[in-house]
Amino acid sequence: MVYLGTSEEWQHHSALLLQARPTTARITTKYKIPNIDTPKYQKLKKRKRDGETDEKDATAPKVPKAWLVLKTYDPESGVVLKFKTDRAADVGRLINGLGRLGRHMAALPVKEEAPAHSVTQSEPASHQAPEAAAPRPKEIAPATVDAKAQQGSGGGGGKKKKKGKK
Amino acid sequence: MAGHASNDEFFTQLASLIDKQQQKGHGSVYMTQKRLSYDANAATPTSAKVADDPLWDLHPPNPLPLLVRATDGKSQCKDRKKHKNKVKISTVVQPDEIESFFARYADVCKAGMQSLKKRDRSKRKKDKKKKAPAAGGEVKKA
Repeated sequence: MVYLGTSEEWQHHSALLLQARPTTARITTKYKIPNIDTPKYQKLKKRKRDGETDEKDATAPKVPKAWLVLKTYDPESGVVLKFKTDRAADVGRLINGLGRLGRHMAALPVKEEAPAHSVTQSEPASHQAPEAAAPRPKEIAPATVDAKAQQGSGGGGGKKKKKGKK
Repeated sequence: MAGHASNDEFFTQLASLIDKQQQKGHGSVYMTQKRLSYDANAATPTSAKVADDPLWDLHPPNPLPLLVRATDGKSQCKDRKKHKNKVKISTVVQPDEIESFFARYADVCKAGMQSLKKRDRSKRKKDKKKKAPAAGGEVKKA
């Protein structure tokens, strides 16, 4: 279980994991509002009361602060990538990121934005595209075997490294 | 388990689920997305494993739909029995609907998740704004 530092990092590693394991990997988004009445949070309050009574009033939030955890999990390789945030400003960006990752899951091409920007240029390019696309799958088929194997092991390696740090 | 809801139903139910947890003051909402690799209409799974190809799922012939689920995580009661009131909704997103789906998904989440930290909550930023006209050079650097 690894918490990644930035959402971009999470997005990048999740994309790699989904490319390697598009069928088994899943993304879970958890939105949690903690129950401040539970013993877990009561204990924290009591500790503060004992030590710093004045600061307790300032720090103790009456309204529970929620957080959002994004988790990419692949049961086959056991890789877990997590990202946690408590900022409302992140939500829109993260969900759009989920949409982009969803394209990997659906086995759609990564970006549709590219042809939209170069509409005029894409016309001659589109003629070339079928010719170029035709040999590609044959080339890729053996190439992906190596590439994906490396990605899988690389992902596992990265996970172990990060575990070691924390 | 009931079948998948349509995308519209999913969003109304998801909005009410988030709202319910929000009103309660505590609780969780779990939303999961994954590739839908099982076709209820076909007798066999559509993306059946191709013999002798361990990477059969990396290059499917057609784009596959997504399965999106949402629950409140209440799978167990306190007495370790199955919870009767577990909220569990799911929908299937077709590949060509992904972008419109996630645009709405983001709107529903942004509208529902009100307990996260808001942008303009802190007083520090207000102070910065006050300072900004006085020290214009610093703002440009920042």
